[in-house]
Amino acid sequence: MSKTILIVDDSASIRQVVTITLKGAGFEVIEATNGKEGIAKLDGTKVHLIISDVNMPIMGGIDMVKEIKQLPKYKFTPVIMLTTEASEEMKQQGKAIGAKAWMVKPFKPEQMLQAVNMLT
Amino acid sequence: MSLDAALETFYAEAKEHLESMEHILLQLDEGEYNDETLNDIFRSAHTIKGSAGIFALEHIVEFTHVIENVLDRARENEITIETKLVNLLFQCRDHIQALVKTSSEEFNDNISLQESGANLLTQLSPWINEQEPSSTQNEAEEKLPAINQENLTQQKCWHISLRLSSDCLKNGMDPISFITFLSGLGEIKHIETITDNFPSINNYDAETLYFAYEISLSTDADLATIENTFMFVQDDSDITILSPEATVDDYLALIDALPEDNQRLRDVFIKCGSLTEQTLAQAHKNKEEIEALNSKSQRDEVPPQPKALLETLKNSDLQQQKSTNERKSNKQIRIDSDRLDNLINLIGELVINQQRIDLLASTSKNPDLLEAVDDFEGFTEQIRDAALKLRMVQIGGIFQRFKRVVRDTAQELNKEIELHIEGAETELDRLMVEKLGDPLTHIIRNAMDHGLEPVEQRVSVGKQSTGQLKLAAYHEAGHVVIAISDDGKGIDIEVIRRKAIEKNIISAEMKLTDNELFHLIFHPGFSTASTVTNLSGRGVGMDVVKRNVESLQGSIEINSTLGKGSEFKIRLPLTLAIIDGFHVQSQDTHFIIPQTTITECIDLTSHQHIEGRHCIDLRGEMIPFLNISEIFMLNGQPNQKMPNKKSIPREELVIVQFGNDIAGIAVDRLYGEIQTVVKPLGPIFNSLKGIGGSTLLGNGDIAFILDIPQLIEMAINRDLSHRHLAN
Repeated sequence: MSKTILIVDDSASIRQVVTITLKGAGFEVIEATNGKEGIAKLDGTKVHLIISDVNMPIMGGIDMVKEIKQLPKYKFTPVIMLTTEASEEMKQQGKAIGAKAWMVKPFKPEQMLQAVNMLT
Repeated sequence: MSLDAALETFYAEAKEHLESMEHILLQLDEGEYNDETLNDIFRSAHTIKGSAGIFALEHIVEFTHVIENVLDRARENEITIETKLVNLLFQCRDHIQALVKTSSEEFNDNISLQESGANLLTQLSPWINEQEPSSTQNEAEEKLPAINQENLTQQKCWHISLRLSSDCLKNGMDPISFITFLSGLGEIKHIETITDNFPSINNYDAETLYFAYEISLSTDADLATIENTFMFVQDDSDITILSPEATVDDYLALIDALPEDNQRLRDVFIKCGSLTEQTLAQAHKNKEEIEALNSKSQRDEVPPQPKALLETLKNSDLQQQKSTNERKSNKQIRIDSDRLDNLINLIGELVINQQRIDLLASTSKNPDLLEAVDDFEGFTEQIRDAALKLRMVQIGGIFQRFKRVVRDTAQELNKEIELHIEGAETELDRLMVEKLGDPLTHIIRNAMDHGLEPVEQRVSVGKQSTGQLKLAAYHEAGHVVIAISDDGKGIDIEVIRRKAIEKNIISAEMKLTDNELFHLIFHPGFSTASTVTNLSGRGVGMDVVKRNVESLQGSIEINSTLGKGSEFKIRLPLTLAIIDGFHVQSQDTHFIIPQTTITECIDLTSHQHIEGRHCIDLRGEMIPFLNISEIFMLNGQPNQKMPNKKSIPREELVIVQFGNDIAGIAVDRLYGEIQTVVKPLGPIFNSLKGIGGSTLLGNGDIAFILDIPQLIEMAINRDLSHRHLAN
């Protein structure tokens, strides 16, 4: 069975690039445009990895992951945060909520795939 | 794997973000903003940069990155929003727009674009956060290479010091996978496992990682590639990668930084081949100095504490606004406009079929069937209206765009102009909104250029110094009206008359009403401005404006009072897809008159005709009229004769009104109301005047939809020329 990945980003083009890349590598992809939607779309579905942007309208990535990690089902789901602002402060926040990795935009699709393959 | 589709998405997205940036900049300009606004504009720049990077559009990334930095500083309150900065940001936004429209190759060839970008960045420099390199680090760097440049080892080896997070295993990451990955990059010369942390068996937890590794790797790969190996753990772990060029001091610093005993680590490093006894001894004397420098630079890196506090405060402030946004966004979905158009087309077919069923039912005379069909008709109408509503968008979106136009134009003209927007929530078919941009821009620029006076002139005639420009939208009798008004100097009818005579558009003897004179400015090649500015062009625009509006089945009206100001009113139908029509017949041909234009139907023969003119007397008012069969030469017999009572058989006259103009349309037979699905006519009918489209009737016959504004104009012009002939 193919593995499922949740991608949360408010940029449609980034979602599209990630989705095309992941689907090409045989993953199932669930897309969401912000944290709130990400939580809603998850809805108990088993996901093997969450890839999320940090700065999004309505609900950012940090708040979303915090909320998702409260659910026992997703406690150990690895998370990759996508961001252009990999400041130390941000990283600390990400670390506190259990993000496994930071991918600094811009990233190459192959680079992301390599990351995903290592985590799933 | 094709990313072309994603690239298209990027362009659409960038456009949206640029629009939003412009909107926010206008707010900044007016001083109406809060933290959320600043965060929004930052996010727009941030997203454009991030997405552009993925498509390797370096020219966009490079420039936008700086803008993003400036905006980041603004939202962190490190710099203040001042007029100079906002003006500059407007230009930067436009520059990003230009960059988005330019491919990387085009950019490399486009020197002027490169220069303008560089110029903007220079101007921005007071607001750019120079990444101040810490002086201590510099000192350290300068000192280090001088000590030892010689190779520490025989082979060119990287040294990797791994202190993975103790939770590494719990997180599903096996250290072996990293080591395996490294061995894929080159040859692992030596690996030393440090087991210092291994606890007694009683305290042992199988899910905790107790090992640390020191690895010597021989590879051609660069630092980034090696770093990538640890992408997912680098944040929880302490990973140090020393290049083959690293000096002994680098190693000593590393040994100091690592938690294990220094002497033991030295031994480990020597085992790895990364250090030798000799180099160690040689470098020993510099050690203390470096230690001092390092501790100093570390102190500088401690992040300031109050920021976190500030963040919490900001968050609570925003809570309310956020929750409203949430509600709004959860209720909306995006639909591909093609799908929507397809739905509207299908509903058009449904309407036509419903009419066919209606017709069949009425011949059957079955009362139950008739009742069912009646209900069916009601629901079809409701579905039609609901579907058309889906395609309606608020006109405010396009109105907002003009804030920027007005702001820039006013600066360019050195005038003070204030734009007021009313009725931004008025809805109009999306297709029409898209086509309105150009005509509106033209009228607005004209008003600013020719209508509104410079400050001194305004003050001298007792007006307030700031020119008032109003953009309003509202509903009126089944139409949407967009009014553009100003309190400028108004249109001088005499100037228009003189110009029109000068340009041989009218003859000096012709007597025209004020309204007719105003409309002369829509004549091709007519310009009233005595000096032509580069803003509103050379009078080539207004006739195009009129054509654009008419192509939307709309009309345009002018009201103006000399010295007080002018008003342009664009009147548009709500939608172009399905209309309420009135079915009439002339000879053997069926026609549809849009119901919203009809004021009444009268019997033509019972009204008095004005001698020698195509005109009747309706309750004391002169109404020009046209005979449809005559205009469209039905039966192939153009009627060139002047009308007289005898040539007009018993006919019905439909009185139609559009804007302020009224005319009659003579037909043979009236049928009544009908839902009309507008089917556009093919391009070969473009030059055909008076017909706006076609439709299918329930019985399968074709009916032509009359273009009432054009027909009214024809009726009025014909009556005018008769009047002139008579004169």
